[in-house]
Amino acid sequence: MVTNDNGGPKAKAAGKPKPYLLPEFCKACARCIPACPRDCITMSTEINPLTGRTPVVVDWERCNGCGLCLSACPEPYGLTGVMADEIEFELVDPKVLFGDKHTTAPEPVDIPGTRLDMPELEPMILKGTHASAIGAILAGCRHFYGYPITPSTEGAELLARLLPELDGVFVQAVSEVAAVNMIYGCGGAGLRSMTFTSSPGFSLMLEGISYMIGAELPGVFFNVMRGGPGLGNIAPEQADIKLVCRGLGHGNSHAIVLAPSTPQEMLDLTMLAFELSFKYRNPVVLAGDGYLGQVTGRVTLPRQMVKPGLPAWAVHGDAVHRKNFITSIALIEQDLEKHNEHLLDKYARISRAEQRFATYKCDDAELLIVACNTPARMAKGAVRDLRARGIRAGLFRPITLWPFPIDGLLPLLEKARGVLMVEAGPGQLEDELRLAVSHAGVRLPPVSHVRRYGGVLPQQHEIDEAALAMTGHTAPALTGGAS
Amino acid sequence: MSVFFENFDRHAHGEGLKGHSTHYCAGCGHGLIQKFLAEAIEELGIQDRTVAISPVGCSVFMYYYLDVGNTQAAHGRAPAVAIGHKTANPNAIVVSYQGDGDLASIGLAEIMQACQMGMPMTFLFVNNAIYGMTGGQMAPTTLPGQKTMTTPKGRPPITGQPLRMAEIVAQIDGPVYVERCALFDAKQRNRTKKAIHKALQLQVENRGLSFVEILAECPTHLKLSPVEAEQWVKDKMLPFFPLGVKKDEVREPWFNLGTPSFDPQRIASVIGGTDHAPERFGGGFPTHLHEHDVAIKFAGAGGDGAQTIAMLITKAAINEGWDSTHIPSYGPESRGGTSYADVHIADGEVLSPACPHPQVLVAFNPPSLEKFGPTVRPGGIVIYDSSVIPQPPDLGDRITMIGVPCTAIAQELGKVMAKNMVALGALQAATNVFPAESFLSMLRKVLQNNCAMLELNEAAFERGQQAAVRQSQAAV
Repeated sequence: MVTNDNGGPKAKAAGKPKPYLLPEFCKACARCIPACPRDCITMSTEINPLTGRTPVVVDWERCNGCGLCLSACPEPYGLTGVMADEIEFELVDPKVLFGDKHTTAPEPVDIPGTRLDMPELEPMILKGTHASAIGAILAGCRHFYGYPITPSTEGAELLARLLPELDGVFVQAVSEVAAVNMIYGCGGAGLRSMTFTSSPGFSLMLEGISYMIGAELPGVFFNVMRGGPGLGNIAPEQADIKLVCRGLGHGNSHAIVLAPSTPQEMLDLTMLAFELSFKYRNPVVLAGDGYLGQVTGRVTLPRQMVKPGLPAWAVHGDAVHRKNFITSIALIEQDLEKHNEHLLDKYARISRAEQRFATYKCDDAELLIVACNTPARMAKGAVRDLRARGIRAGLFRPITLWPFPIDGLLPLLEKARGVLMVEAGPGQLEDELRLAVSHAGVRLPPVSHVRRYGGVLPQQHEIDEAALAMTGHTAPALTGGAS
Repeated sequence: MSVFFENFDRHAHGEGLKGHSTHYCAGCGHGLIQKFLAEAIEELGIQDRTVAISPVGCSVFMYYYLDVGNTQAAHGRAPAVAIGHKTANPNAIVVSYQGDGDLASIGLAEIMQACQMGMPMTFLFVNNAIYGMTGGQMAPTTLPGQKTMTTPKGRPPITGQPLRMAEIVAQIDGPVYVERCALFDAKQRNRTKKAIHKALQLQVENRGLSFVEILAECPTHLKLSPVEAEQWVKDKMLPFFPLGVKKDEVREPWFNLGTPSFDPQRIASVIGGTDHAPERFGGGFPTHLHEHDVAIKFAGAGGDGAQTIAMLITKAAINEGWDSTHIPSYGPESRGGTSYADVHIADGEVLSPACPHPQVLVAFNPPSLEKFGPTVRPGGIVIYDSSVIPQPPDLGDRITMIGVPCTAIAQELGKVMAKNMVALGALQAATNVFPAESFLSMLRKVLQNNCAMLELNEAAFERGQQAAVRQSQAAV
């Protein structure tokens, strides 16, 4: 109902727009009343049946169209300036006044990325974090946001040097809390960005990672794990496996966790991380240990690099993407339940499609050694030793820690008479394995472990000794094996 | 009105009245500010380029209303999210819209950094002296004595004084324009509208960061009518939060990030890639040291150059076609602490990169030799700096001890720093892990941009070789 009843829609045009109001959209705040210098506006005494409020009433006869009431009304569709002759009918349906089309923004479209051939290059000799940084560049990442923390900083330092040479952006954030939110913004804009951090810094990023998962934004986080808890030390540990697999901030959150074990994998898995992050619109975590960050080795470069496109869902700040919005809030319970079902479905798809692992002499293995990151290298050496001593040992190395590569493990468990977990940490990889095995409904053979903490890595001879003890052999004195 | 959605589909699915009404309480200042923002976006013709960042607080749902690119940020983090958006697309017009809890409490670090960086972005700071969404608790801008749910007897002195953000921000070099406005009468609303327009325009012109603080009404939690709330802002807030322009600097357009390159040739060059295959000088794997995995430990103090020669030998080994790793280990000090390096050279794949039991140890000082000497495998070689270790410990007759006066030789050559190269020369001669030329060619490559140092280093290497040979002969 039109309430401009004093002269109403048929009032003569005064040359200036006059306030027009659909009473349903008036919240009766009355801010327009003192704004009017001619006292044209009063509160109605009639209660509007739809809103339960008493909307204001405008006296169009006295109104001179000064417009001050319009800029006093806080509602977008409250008092609206209209020319008198525009109003020639009584309105009931807002769609008639405002139209049925909700936005003029176009439908966003995907701009696909491309793969470009790289020149043929000799293998490089790279530190682990540097290999990862170069992997990021080859994966099309031109934006880095981070905060310095040992032992991850060399990766950031290299990107600080290289990105500007490629007209990319390096931002040293005020904190890890800020860094992850810059990644949220850059990922939200549809671009590839990453950070290098280490355990205490990663803890600070968890809030933002939960938001990214909720808002379905991509971004790559390299956690070069160090000794903890607390400030701990700067030596290598694997004590954040629980955090990256089970504790990515609040809520129903998961992310693919990739665990490299050589400088070569630091590059390869960083490139993969970007691909997976955009494929699933979800952060991807690279979990390395402090050793891997520091170790220098030979790295073969890929034959192709990535020139990223721009995904349809991005909020890029251009016409094509105007329709989009990024949020992790869903106020209505049913909406949030639906969103969680969608996320769970995504996690299930990831669990089916993205399990990755490597094996070494597992075909006939009776003793299965399970390790990831640097400890897997020691474990591999131990397998070689043990084989030389006639023990059928094999190494199962998870490359994805989440999802745990249970599909690869199950057939090996059929033959295994024992499992030996090797960890530079308190058994968090073992927990992941036990959980996955439990979900699979399979019985584990006897499990033993070699665990070191605080930055001490399990050494090959310790693995040898534990394996010999498990298999009922006595440990012979260490001879000329690899050191 | 085109910058507002014609129907608020994101507001409870746009059904019923919610399709055209905001979620704000009657008389709330947010509605006005968002109206002025929408008008300015329209006037400047930047609807397509705008990315509006909603905070946590009552304006969390700003994206219900504004038909622009929208991003909702975590509490207080909007300035960081804004930096992400602006650096991703410098052409985007990024507006961070934040309340007093968001900007002046939990997000202080983020707003400080954004202002310090000064990238052209627009910050609208809505100061209503109270927490709205969580139900009327104390804000950093709550007035002394003001009753809130967490200051039930009025804001006590122990909680300090209201934080004046516009003045704080104006002190920082980054922003070009800072103003505090209000909404309590037509004149103030007009100023606010102009300020928002200007703040956006300065971004469009790439001149810098703008910050507009707006004193707004929260009638619900002030427990006042909207019109009384206007009066309250005018009477109570103004004495603490004086209105006006706090900073207005003329700055030439400066913001230009360039377009990231994805040219493979350029990238290959930037990452230091080369198609030039390195020359090989060695024959087979140094099986006289170990059949497939040689472990060498270097140990000294920071500054001894252990890491440098460890890296050199790693690079030489990889050039010779083997797998090799180098892993450093430092004390907590950046300079002057302990500095150890473990190197492995393997014919197949280096497994454990650590050297708990090396075949070769190079020790630069007594503690290093004492610590690692006993870990050397039987049949192994220890090279130590006899200038600083005159009395080496007895490691038994299965260890070959080669004392080389690395420091003294380097001093003679005029640079103590070169002692690591003396040690490397000694290592080459004593172990013959690779031919000398393998090291020297790598040295030339490493020093290609610092030729002045090459001669000295080559001389040091040679003197180390000679000293080691003399020692070995003496031992025989």
